[in-house]
Amino acid sequence: MTDAPARTEPRPASARPTLTEVAASYPERRPPRGRAWAAVRRVLRHVALIAFGLVMLYPLLWMLASSFKPTELIFREPGLIPTEWDFGNYTDGWNALLDPFGHYLLNSAIVVLGSVLGNLISCSMAAYAFARLKFRGRNLWFAVMLMSIMLPIHVIIVPQYILFSSLSWINTFLPLIVPKLLATDAFFVFLMVQFFRGIPKDLDEAARLDGCGHVRIFLRIMLPLSLPALATTAIFTFIWTWNDFFSQLIFLTKPDMYTVPIALRTFVDATSNSSWGPLFAMSIVSLIPVFLVFLFGQKYLVKGIATTGIK
Amino acid sequence: MRVTATRATRRRGAALVALTAAGALALTACSGGDSGIVPSDEGGDDGGNVEIRFAWWGSDDRHKTTQQIIDLFEEKNPGITVVPDYTDWDGYWDKLATATAGGDTPDVITQEERYLSDYASRGVIGEMTGVDTSKIADDILSTGEVDGKLVGIPTGVNAYAMVADPQIFADAGVDMPDDKTWTWDDYVDIAGKISKGAGDGVWGAQDYGFNEAGLNVLARQKGETLYNEDGTLGVSKETVAEFFQTSLDLMANGGQPDASRSVEYQNAGPEGSLLGTNAGAMGVWWSNQLGALSDASGHELELLRLPGESQFDRTGMYFKPAMYYSISAKTKHPEESAKLVDFLLNDPEVAKLQLTDRGLPANESVREAILPDLTAADQKVADFMADLEPDIVDNPAVPPSGANEIQDIMIRINTEVLFERMTPDEAADAFLKDVGAAIGG
Amino acid sequence: MAVIQEVARTRGAAPERRKGDGKAAALFLAPWFVGLILITAFPLVASLYLSFTDYSLLEAPGWIGLENYTRMFSDPRFFQALKVTFTYVLVSVPLQLAAALALAMVLDKGLRGLAFYRSVYYLPSLLGGSVAIAILWRQVFGADGLVNQVLGFFGIEGVGWVSHPDYALGTLMVLNVWTFGAPMIIFLAGLRQIPAMYYEAASIDGAGPWRRFRSITVPLLTPIIFFNLVLQLIGAFQSFTQAFIVSGGTGGPVDSTLFYTLYLYEKGFGSYQMGYASAMAWFLLLVVAGMTAVNFLASKFWVFYDD
Repeated sequence: MTDAPARTEPRPASARPTLTEVAASYPERRPPRGRAWAAVRRVLRHVALIAFGLVMLYPLLWMLASSFKPTELIFREPGLIPTEWDFGNYTDGWNALLDPFGHYLLNSAIVVLGSVLGNLISCSMAAYAFARLKFRGRNLWFAVMLMSIMLPIHVIIVPQYILFSSLSWINTFLPLIVPKLLATDAFFVFLMVQFFRGIPKDLDEAARLDGCGHVRIFLRIMLPLSLPALATTAIFTFIWTWNDFFSQLIFLTKPDMYTVPIALRTFVDATSNSSWGPLFAMSIVSLIPVFLVFLFGQKYLVKGIATTGIK
Repeated sequence: MRVTATRATRRRGAALVALTAAGALALTACSGGDSGIVPSDEGGDDGGNVEIRFAWWGSDDRHKTTQQIIDLFEEKNPGITVVPDYTDWDGYWDKLATATAGGDTPDVITQEERYLSDYASRGVIGEMTGVDTSKIADDILSTGEVDGKLVGIPTGVNAYAMVADPQIFADAGVDMPDDKTWTWDDYVDIAGKISKGAGDGVWGAQDYGFNEAGLNVLARQKGETLYNEDGTLGVSKETVAEFFQTSLDLMANGGQPDASRSVEYQNAGPEGSLLGTNAGAMGVWWSNQLGALSDASGHELELLRLPGESQFDRTGMYFKPAMYYSISAKTKHPEESAKLVDFLLNDPEVAKLQLTDRGLPANESVREAILPDLTAADQKVADFMADLEPDIVDNPAVPPSGANEIQDIMIRINTEVLFERMTPDEAADAFLKDVGAAIGG
Repeated sequence: MAVIQEVARTRGAAPERRKGDGKAAALFLAPWFVGLILITAFPLVASLYLSFTDYSLLEAPGWIGLENYTRMFSDPRFFQALKVTFTYVLVSVPLQLAAALALAMVLDKGLRGLAFYRSVYYLPSLLGGSVAIAILWRQVFGADGLVNQVLGFFGIEGVGWVSHPDYALGTLMVLNVWTFGAPMIIFLAGLRQIPAMYYEAASIDGAGPWRRFRSITVPLLTPIIFFNLVLQLIGAFQSFTQAFIVSGGTGGPVDSTLFYTLYLYEKGFGSYQMGYASAMAWFLLLVVAGMTAVNFLASKFWVFYDD
């Protein structure tokens, strides 16, 4: 993070001592504590966290257990340990639909990656404008943006369908990806606005004095410093798009184009036989990518200012 | 550099405003589905090849067999490509309505009786022509008529019947009833005895009040009907109250679970039902669900007629079309679409592939042909239906527009009754008022 | 206490005005603006237009003026939906935010295995609204479900948590608190943006954990708390999936979980009254926009930006 000017640089606008200076003027010192007590507390904390974790894990464990039960036993024996193991659910589920399940995973991956990329670029750009630039009607535009997420999808989707249909976009991934490239996900714009506004303004003031334009400030200061926000955006976009059902159902009509949530729904039908075992198995399979993304993505969540070296 | 970018943006902005205005026009003009502004991507006529879209609901088994049927059709009809469009029951109707609004209605549409009038009366599906219906009995075929026009052809038939688990009857030390003579009181009585005899956690019957088909049977037994031919309500308040009273009697004598459990079992589908989990001896289901119930329970289940068939004026049971094939009124390829429907209904090879998946085939010669291939459960269904047929007086008319709301109304009011927040009398009033509003409005 | 005073002083600082950002703004906002016009505005305007029509989805819309809006106020189920939704919003949003913030604090730093805990705690939020979850809820909250088995162990007789009209909404609120993963992650990211030196300096000053939380964490986290509050509020008013799953789409038992959006969906797609559904949606928008505006106005008094 050598690009970011250090906070200790003298500020031209004010003569107040910065927080860093205040902090730096104190010697390093820690109050002594009872070691044994600290150890006990630590153990207790872990016990509590693990107990709580088990409650949180239960649904997943139950789904996992169910995915190994024959369909007819899932309802008759709802316990966690299957009395009869059926690994066939995975092979059956993988091959149950017209294409192997991997096909739907791939379709979902395309939609999700497009959406993540789109949201990262477009939302951060819009957020920079709303957070740092002064322009006419800023508050009004911001309000308009927020309004767009206050209408339920169910009344929006029909006009959207008509719009995309007139563009011949139905049954392509475009209606799912292009809106993200155009920053229509107000949630993330707002999220990044809040994070950008949390970044000390002296940083870009200093950069401006060094002759940086907005593009450079955006690329070299704001983006690197808001890694947690970008990671949050990426992870949430991934998870939410991966799980989103309604718009994918409406905009994708050919089975070749179906994504994971639609494929999962075709295992179960209220009016005919349902394949619950394969459904659970494929639900587990479709959770793996999201879980992995979360597991590996979350380390970027914790790389905030605290760790990027503005000390 | 930045200046150019801004200018470009501005120009693009103006173009987009224009585009939006055009879009707004498209919306007002095309919502009926026949706008020239909205192109539909269904009519790819390149090189004499015709593409038609066939929409249905179901789960994975049906999707696979239907794809095989489509392959067969394409093989026999070179030059026609059938694009499948399928999803589950709930998603199906959302998708169909949206596609209709956008002018992209599929060419061949699978329909259901509660939706048929909605789509027919608004001109979304047209009159069926060019399909051979000679092998389908007249009283069954007529269930696809709305305002005197044939708008849907039944794929097959189901009956609303009592499914019973002989093993639990035996465990409880109760004899199976004679289903031609048992009355509604006998039903309450038997269920109560089973609950007592079979021990904790096993009940006589699953609550039947969430489905209006049971009410229709009772109404017909009393010489009434749920909906009249002219689309008005044909059931009396007394009959509706009596229908709900049976549930209360069953709860009182322990013959069915308490209200909370009844709601839970209702939501759990065949696999999670009382019968499916070996927690009950009886339940009212559509006959085509016998297979799923038998698989789930692991027991050999039996089909019985509903109680009361010889208790009142006449019999009340009837054949209900499992689903219909309809053709979009706006299709660009009516001939090819009719050809596909004809193939689906009349081709013996199709029947061998799908067996009873779309109901016991309505086409009688095809039905005969597949009998030997049926599973044990489906064999039972076929026998039951054959046995029942002579005793059916008539089949009810197509439910009126708005009838699909009755599902939710029934569930809501029955729950009120089960939790004793409404008396059967109040429930009957509420039912007549709410259903009346749904089909009147 | 110098640091704390410093934070407090900066909170009151007025933002500096600068001129001439218009061109840069146009550049940065270009994609957003195109999206607004092309993708967002048209459906928004269209749904407003449709709210004055008898649109059925299956036929062309016909203008009926304010009829849909007047009809709402004589529709008892509309009021039921409002009641359910407001109860849910007012109870579950604060609860969920408190739970999310508390766990984010615990999981922020200083513990071994944090990555693991964070992932585990986020899991329920990963599961989303799949069909499998519907079965799970019944298995956990049913009359013979896991919760009641545990209660039975302590000699308490349970009820059907999702099937009894008196308890279903409460159960949904608990479920909502339980999926606190998203706000928790956002809080975590926010906590990570608070420069560590503030805490170090405050510790040296002798501020205890509670004082540090009150005087550093909360003020510096206010933009994120505010974000979560606004977005959770907007989201909670549109709650749909969980009620849809638990009630099989009916809002039952007997409309006790008839969320506003669920009712609107039922009207639009179930009864083919998209005009009425659109009117309901615009009424909702007015309510939510009003609440959000109040939120923004109030934020001037408690949200602290460093600009």
